[in-house]
Amino acid sequence: MRLEIESIDIRDIRLGPKTYAKDRVLHINPKELEELLLKDGRIKSVDIHVVSPGDRVRIVNLLDVVQPRCKIDQFEADFPGFVGRLRIAGSGRTRSLRGVAVLVSNPCTKRKYSALLDMCGLAAELSKYGKMRNVSIAPYIADGTEERDFEDAVKIAGLKTAVYLALAAEGLSPDEVEVYDLDIPNLERHSSLPRIAYYYQMYSPQHDHHGIPDPCFYGTHVRDLMPTIIHPNEVLDGGAVGHHTIRSLDTYTIQNHAVIKELYRRHGEDLTFAGVVFGVANIDPIIRKRKALMAANLIKNVLGADGVIITKIHGGMPHVDVSLVGEECEKLGVKTALYTQPLISDGTLADTLLFNNEALDLVITVGATFERVKLPLEADRILGGMAKTKVFLADPVDQYAGDPIIDMEQMLIAGVHDHLGGANIIVKEY
Amino acid sequence: MAGIKLKAVHYLNQFFGGVGGEDKAEVGFSVKEGPVGPGLALQNELADRAQVAATVICGDNYFAKKPEEAANEGLGLIMPYQPDLFFAGPAFEAGRYGISCGAICKAVGQELGIPVITGMSQENPGVEMYRKDAFICKTGVSARDMRNSLQRMTQLAFRLVSGEKNMNLVLPENLPKPDDFGYFPRLILRNEYTEQTAAQRSIDKLLAKIKGEPFESEVVLPTSETVAPPPPIGDPRECEIALVSDGGLVPRGNPDGLSGRGNLRWTTYEIDDFLPEDFTSSDYEIAHTGYFPDEVLGNPSRLVPVDVVRDLVKEGEIGKLHPTFFCTSGNATVTRRCAEMGDEIGAELKRRGIDAVIFTST
Repeated sequence: MRLEIESIDIRDIRLGPKTYAKDRVLHINPKELEELLLKDGRIKSVDIHVVSPGDRVRIVNLLDVVQPRCKIDQFEADFPGFVGRLRIAGSGRTRSLRGVAVLVSNPCTKRKYSALLDMCGLAAELSKYGKMRNVSIAPYIADGTEERDFEDAVKIAGLKTAVYLALAAEGLSPDEVEVYDLDIPNLERHSSLPRIAYYYQMYSPQHDHHGIPDPCFYGTHVRDLMPTIIHPNEVLDGGAVGHHTIRSLDTYTIQNHAVIKELYRRHGEDLTFAGVVFGVANIDPIIRKRKALMAANLIKNVLGADGVIITKIHGGMPHVDVSLVGEECEKLGVKTALYTQPLISDGTLADTLLFNNEALDLVITVGATFERVKLPLEADRILGGMAKTKVFLADPVDQYAGDPIIDMEQMLIAGVHDHLGGANIIVKEY
Repeated sequence: MAGIKLKAVHYLNQFFGGVGGEDKAEVGFSVKEGPVGPGLALQNELADRAQVAATVICGDNYFAKKPEEAANEGLGLIMPYQPDLFFAGPAFEAGRYGISCGAICKAVGQELGIPVITGMSQENPGVEMYRKDAFICKTGVSARDMRNSLQRMTQLAFRLVSGEKNMNLVLPENLPKPDDFGYFPRLILRNEYTEQTAAQRSIDKLLAKIKGEPFESEVVLPTSETVAPPPPIGDPRECEIALVSDGGLVPRGNPDGLSGRGNLRWTTYEIDDFLPEDFTSSDYEIAHTGYFPDEVLGNPSRLVPVDVVRDLVKEGEIGKLHPTFFCTSGNATVTRRCAEMGDEIGAELKRRGIDAVIFTST
């Protein structure tokens, strides 16, 4: 399976009467984009803004961030199952815009928490998106639309916007072409390089809003998915997207999956990239055990891996889940590197582990995502919500987007942490 | 800061303070102006940047018998000097001395808010007891390491008073790196920027692990204690059973202020009032962000099984339902605090003469 990602560096985005690109500047006709998004009957209206680094603006109720991407050589093939027709993602040519992102807000959300981004001040400094030029969209719910159904509509509106922006860059020549070509059936079987697989825990049902899972894979949810082998290109090219709240994980991060890209980069150099097993966290211990056994078996006896990188979704229960996958892998002789996010900011790092198994002797800390940060209000405009939009805090205190200072867990600032290993962050004892 | 000489106070035990050996370990506090014994070497390291204004001395036994009271007594002697810095020991491997140094550092640090620095070897019980409250520099086991230890303590002290922020931290603050300054980490976890992404680090380390080369885990595995299951309760018809849950079920308004995450409190509610048979869902809320609470709010017995226990009591299968429900929220709470809360709740249950407990979690 061969994927070419043609990246174009965008200098600026401007709103105007016509959508086109010139000299690395993207000109967007917001009316045309609005019309496109309003084709979805679940959306009554939509706010569209361009925000740039330094702008005194705070974007709230963030549910996703998406990198503008479109297929160049295939028709209706973008984000299959969500935007495009169902097909397998991950082959052919894809245009990707760098330095820009779509910030997707749901101003009608009733969820306890959603993410936030400031384009100025500390949050902008901490976030990779705070340094980009972004298109913020905020769709409003149409009468009679059910809450969860609308969340899907917002998600899809974000993906559609990403495709629209990438299409608008037609005519600009790519700054870089990356080739992701992994012929798994014909991998060198007798290479002396260690075979490394990747176990991708993609979803956890513990936060299913009203008990309904979020679709995040080819248009559907994966809550009951058995461990499955997928091609890494499917992840990079729109087969997988983020769930409906950002907790250090969004579509942009998945499109730029750091573990997959790093395994690709070193493939044939000091390792053989053996493939990806895709799984979900499980609440029930028997189901967890069954799936852990299956995942380990796929990794060892189907992919033939010597080692496996295991990443997890946010939360404690998924931590228990990946540790069981790791234990079963080690039992089969597959060496593991297990990612965790310490969920507390005091104690020792050992205190943060939710397993007790000597075989799991290589633990990677991707970031203490609950570390707090106090953000002074430097914005004079709030997008995606209002000054009185509630901003989540785990303490029994109410705080609002327009408060002079808000107390944020870093996982709720979009673009700071990355569960898929892309951030230059480690957790240390002090 | 240059030019202004800092004022330090130094704590020593009776031996290093020149009062006497083990036979003088019962002797209480005394104060001497200026440096004494190891304080002279400390003054040497401090050079002209700080002056050891006084040395507070106390016998090991006198102090270690009631460390908190002794620490307060010592604090009273230290405060008049209004120091900018406080040093204790180093205590090396000496247990009572280590506890004394830790306790007095804790008291001084809390009261005066100044850097408090001591030194101990890894095995000293004072390390685990006071690492949170003091900067404890790593030392050798005996006074042969005195000069090294004092150098380390002084370097750390100067760094702390400089106010210099650690710019490697995602949120920079005045926290020197434990490895650079040779002190025991103080049970604080911080996000730090690294050269390599987690993806790069993990692959490097995994390849080393596969090749059998040395690799460094970013978390050192914990040593968990094994808890033996208690003996069976005998005849449940004779038993009073209490209900305990960490699912965060609280009355609407959360009057006891349990946190939904990283909660440090537990509380109690009387079952007849809090969980009556004719409960109203809207009377409750969930102080726990780790699960979607609709099922529990729909019927709190799904979390706290009062309904079933009531039935079993009626049927005579269980002797009695204890009238008080013990409640906490267990979600990303530091395990040390969990263990403490367990001890506290356990002690209260024991005091009440409860025979058995049903724990329910989420």
